Amino acid sequence: MIMAIINLQNVTYKYPLTDSPALTNINLQVNEGEFVAVIGPNGAGKSTLCYAIAGFVPHFFKGELTGIVAVAGVESHQSSLHEWVLNVGLAFQNPFNQISGAKYTVFEEIAFGLENIGVPRDEMKSRVTDAMKLTSISDLADRSPYSLSGGQQQRVALTSILVMQPKVLVLDEPTSQMDPIGTREVFGVIRKLSEKGMTVVMVEHKVEWIANFADRVLALHEGKILLAGKPGDVLTSHLLTDKGFGISRYTSVARKAKEMGLWKKDGLPVTLDEAVEGFSQGRENLAPTQK
Amino acid sequence: MDSLSIYAARASGLHKLNPVTKFSLTLFLLVLGLALPGMWTSYLILVLIIVPLAIWGKVLDRLTRIVLTISWPFILSVFIIQTLFWGKGTTLFEFGPFAPKLEGAIFAFTSSGRILLIMADFILFSLATRPDTLMISLKQAGLYPGMAYIIVTTLQLVPQFAAKANAILNAQRARGLETQGNILVRARALLPLVMPLVIGSLMEVEERAIAIEARAFNSKHKETSLIEIPDSQVQRIVRIGMIVAALLAIVIRILWR
Repeated sequence: MIMAIINLQNVTYKYPLTDSPALTNINLQVNEGEFVAVIGPNGAGKSTLCYAIAGFVPHFFKGELTGIVAVAGVESHQSSLHEWVLNVGLAFQNPFNQISGAKYTVFEEIAFGLENIGVPRDEMKSRVTDAMKLTSISDLADRSPYSLSGGQQQRVALTSILVMQPKVLVLDEPTSQMDPIGTREVFGVIRKLSEKGMTVVMVEHKVEWIANFADRVLALHEGKILLAGKPGDVLTSHLLTDKGFGISRYTSVARKAKEMGLWKKDGLPVTLDEAVEGFSQGRENLAPTQK
Repeated sequence: MDSLSIYAARASGLHKLNPVTKFSLTLFLLVLGLALPGMWTSYLILVLIIVPLAIWGKVLDRLTRIVLTISWPFILSVFIIQTLFWGKGTTLFEFGPFAPKLEGAIFAFTSSGRILLIMADFILFSLATRPDTLMISLKQAGLYPGMAYIIVTTLQLVPQFAAKANAILNAQRARGLETQGNILVRARALLPLVMPLVIGSLMEVEERAIAIEARAFNSKHKETSLIEIPDSQVQRIVRIGMIVAALLAIVIRILWR
């Protein structure tokens, strides 16, 4: 049996000075190389889940954490935060706040983490160069981190985490503050990492993208797991609309079409391609217009 | 403006010196100028030490420009106030109700020398030293890493903070906030401007703390540095020599009284 690289069992967490828990009874096992997407309305506990996997809950935020949070067999209770961060990389929404501010060039900025853990200079240089190639930012090496666009900054933030060679990557809405070009750049990098075998847990609202690339989707609602399963199943479930999740417009349209008898397939689409494919099915008897 | 530093990159021997050496030199010249008596001391240090150093560092033009631009209001006011309002003393000449005194002029001359020396001293240091290299060498010498981080990030983050304040100002004005007019109008506009800035900054601080924590900032490992900061035995000896000379200057000052 393959042991899950991320293992959360019966995790319940309450922030300090709050009445109700932010996470209740979370059970999640992620295997190495899996890409798990997490969706949910605001306040559902998605960020808290990210912090729990990354060790900031409970080490940074304090509060009460019960249950087991384990990565690569080690429990977060038994580890210190500065050791834990070497195994779990964390990136979040605002790229500007992830830039250390202590370095004047992108190359040095990426090396910041390696300096902190005492990596020898030559190894630092080669690791930074390789990481920059992986995320396609080699041409930004001499630029000031503050002169970059949002998409570039977010890729620098991702590279700064990757260079530390974590076992697992946790991403909390990395493209929320990006413009479309930035979004495409960041998703491109994440997809490449996942294809290379990195274990990724990502909170994301862009359901069409999740449908194409995630292995599994977790729907969180009020701190509990509402649904978990394959993207096609979770993202088209009725429960999502009932509980106020944002779903793909293609799903909404197809659902309405199904009620009107215009959608012939069993499952609902999430992406544009699936919608086109599904709607085309009822049109085989019509003369083709142009291809 | 990307950062508060006025660092000017040059291929010079002065730039290649260890930052701690340069910092010690800056403090040493300061002590020298303030401790040694005489109205010409500051000017002598300027001409005999600072100007040659600036030439060596290829920054003399920029140094003179910056120092003169900043200092002329101070020097002008010192001269006017000290010569015209000195009190009892030797009158130089009279015009109208004013009678400038020689003692005042001498005092103004000495003070101006000190002002110029302090400014030129620190500005020369800033022109020839990259702030992050100073922080790295101070950290290697034992300075608390949190302190070093605060100082060096302030230089880069203050301009960003100012840009953010400007964005908030524009956003609130676009929502109809009245910012022009009498003092009452402006005072009322303060809260909607300051609150988002302060609260936003506090939230940012938490995020940044998490971000650097995620880069192992609090790791117990011994740190290494990507940039090589040169140092030499000669420089170490010179630094110790400057400490000794500075103490001597202070002793001279005490004895002179």
